[in-house]
Amino acid sequence: MARIPTEFRALAEVEIHMIALLAVLHVVSSIPTLGSLAKEVGGARIEVESLAKGYQDPHFVEAKPSLMLVLNRADLLLHVGLELEIGWLPPLVLGSRNPKIQPGELGNLDCSRSIPVLDVPTTKLDRSMGDIHPQGNPHYWLPPANAKIIAREIAERLQELDPDGRAEYGKNLAAFNKRVDAKTREWAPMTVKLKGVKVATYHKSWSYVSQWLGLQEVGYVEPKPGIPPDPQHLARLITVMKQEGAKLLMMENFYNKSVATLVAEKAGAKLITLPTDVGATPEIKDWFSLVETVLKALSSSV
Amino acid sequence: MKLALFLLAAALPAAAQQADAGTQDDLQKELEKAIRAGSTATPAQGDKAPSAPPEATPGSSGSAPQTLLRGAQSLNPDLSVIVDSVFGYERRAPQFLSGDDPDLGAQGTSHALGFMVQEVELAFSAIVDPYFKGEVYLTIPNLSGLEVEEAFATTTSLPWNLQVKAGSFRSAFGRQNGQHLHLQDFTRRPLINAAFLGADGMRGPGAQVSWLAPLPFFLTLAGEAFSLRSAPADESQVQPLPVASFGADASTRPTLAVEAKAFFPISEAWSLTSGLSFASGRSPGLLLFDGTPAGAGRDSQLYGVDVYLKWKPANVSLGYESLAFQAEAILRHLDSGDGIVGEWDGGGYAQVVAQFARRWFLGVRGDIVGVPSSSVLARTGRLGASLTFQASEFARLRAYLDAERASGTSGLLPQAQPQWAPAAFLQLEYSMGAHGAHPY
Repeated sequence: MARIPTEFRALAEVEIHMIALLAVLHVVSSIPTLGSLAKEVGGARIEVESLAKGYQDPHFVEAKPSLMLVLNRADLLLHVGLELEIGWLPPLVLGSRNPKIQPGELGNLDCSRSIPVLDVPTTKLDRSMGDIHPQGNPHYWLPPANAKIIAREIAERLQELDPDGRAEYGKNLAAFNKRVDAKTREWAPMTVKLKGVKVATYHKSWSYVSQWLGLQEVGYVEPKPGIPPDPQHLARLITVMKQEGAKLLMMENFYNKSVATLVAEKAGAKLITLPTDVGATPEIKDWFSLVETVLKALSSSV
Repeated sequence: MKLALFLLAAALPAAAQQADAGTQDDLQKELEKAIRAGSTATPAQGDKAPSAPPEATPGSSGSAPQTLLRGAQSLNPDLSVIVDSVFGYERRAPQFLSGDDPDLGAQGTSHALGFMVQEVELAFSAIVDPYFKGEVYLTIPNLSGLEVEEAFATTTSLPWNLQVKAGSFRSAFGRQNGQHLHLQDFTRRPLINAAFLGADGMRGPGAQVSWLAPLPFFLTLAGEAFSLRSAPADESQVQPLPVASFGADASTRPTLAVEAKAFFPISEAWSLTSGLSFASGRSPGLLLFDGTPAGAGRDSQLYGVDVYLKWKPANVSLGYESLAFQAEAILRHLDSGDGIVGEWDGGGYAQVVAQFARRWFLGVRGDIVGVPSSSVLARTGRLGASLTFQASEFARLRAYLDAERASGTSGLLPQAQPQWAPAAFLQLEYSMGAHGAHPY
């Protein structure tokens, strides 16, 4: 496998353009992290490309026709599912004219299918609740347990698509799992420190991370998913954050900082902008560096 | 059934493309042959097409508890309802009223002021089977009865980068013609819509074959045939419609169109979409004030060019601003016939829409038709502006102002009076139900 030297790559192309000369399968992921996990288990048998960039809001990716071309060449499409990409992915898949990756085909993998989904609505839904995800929270790919589930799903699908590589995918998956376990142990001092820490977040997208680390979410800058905050809501949030002693406000780095900065300042908390995807910054090249960056940022703030 | 058989036959080589290389190919061919032989031997082959293994089997990891949490599964189509309601004023009846423009009922030279539900749209869509996606859009424009805006199936599994659309649908001619009302940035459609493509745009029963070229950049080519029906424009009406370009010969010859669309990602934020379109059919002409027909049965051709230039940063970390420029121009040739010489007319529009805050969009559009003018199309210009407040993904409020000026005359039509016709609208647009995707 050959890598194009970093200096020749445009910043935008940075995350997972790995050229694999031996590649058998061309895998396209909706978000870079899924592609990165696929690379862990696919190794040299696959080449990986992502539709969205790691510094983009995965809810709102422009459905540029050039992405249809990327999908046109795909053997396998990996997507987050739970309607995260509903605003942009379906027309791209249809427009790709690629029979292999249409919904229901082997080349179309909804990576959420074995994830223990959080925030599944329990009452009758309507959009007065904001732009909600009726099937539950789709921001699930950061905790190690979920990364292992995703990697396993991808490995199984790769084995179905490329039976010649069965053993290799199995071996890579085992190695990945081992590395995740080792890293989890290495991260333990940071994760222990975060247990029980009270936080506010911008969008309700940290549920899985909070569950993993034992963070206590006391409130959200968005009054409802996708609805911009109004002053009354922010005033209430600031009060709650002060009462609860929440010292951290977590926000993805693709959102606008202006409102969150003000809230953090008034509540006497610290605003931390965090990456949520591989490629969010040029240094974040795989799932491990992604999670490590998040953990370091959080643990150094408490 | 014939189509199904054709597609079945076509889908097999597509499935065969999954073969990796070398020896696999021979095996694939053998299997393909066996399947094909099997399908021609079976009488009900159209209903039982072979397909790839479905994904709907539960997660192989034995995660059964999940399935109950995911909510009730339904095989009903996704359903949404989109409503546009307006309050507005217009000084006189507009000359080029599109079917889904707000119609306040201004008669001739008298003004109108009042409310209207510009459109109620019912949208249904679902994947039909492993070979088709189905979409149906019913519309009630201006509370005037249910119409089929579109009802078509799109293939999902054809080989060689082909896609077929069949049913009744909007033509891919130009840019705005293919878009539904709720994708427009202005309350009224551009003048060229009613002037050249038809009051309801170029849409109707037909079929389309499109091909995605295997090039390093995005290029699609499409060919379409429609059975369009249009009556002669009746000039004795208080609100005469423009002369239709096509639709005089629905029962004998389809209206044909071809389109090329290309996309260039100039940079991460900037991109350019551009298209060339051509359509050919026969014009039904018009009925003059005394009821005599004129210009009926002339062959007509439309030549269109469109560009869409957009600037939108990859994320909103530095602000919510974005900018889009869109322009289209159409030239029409009407052949000689019915005592009128062959002639050209044309028109176009250009618009800029700027997002200047998270929820705010400001748009300006200039329209002109009758450049050049012809015996059936006089020169008319219009300048419009819209200010849109997007409350959420599902609702927006829009203020729209425009002023139309009928500046020229044509051989067969009188000049509209009064020449200047300002109009103003407040529009509320909202959608209920399934979350639609945003086409580029």
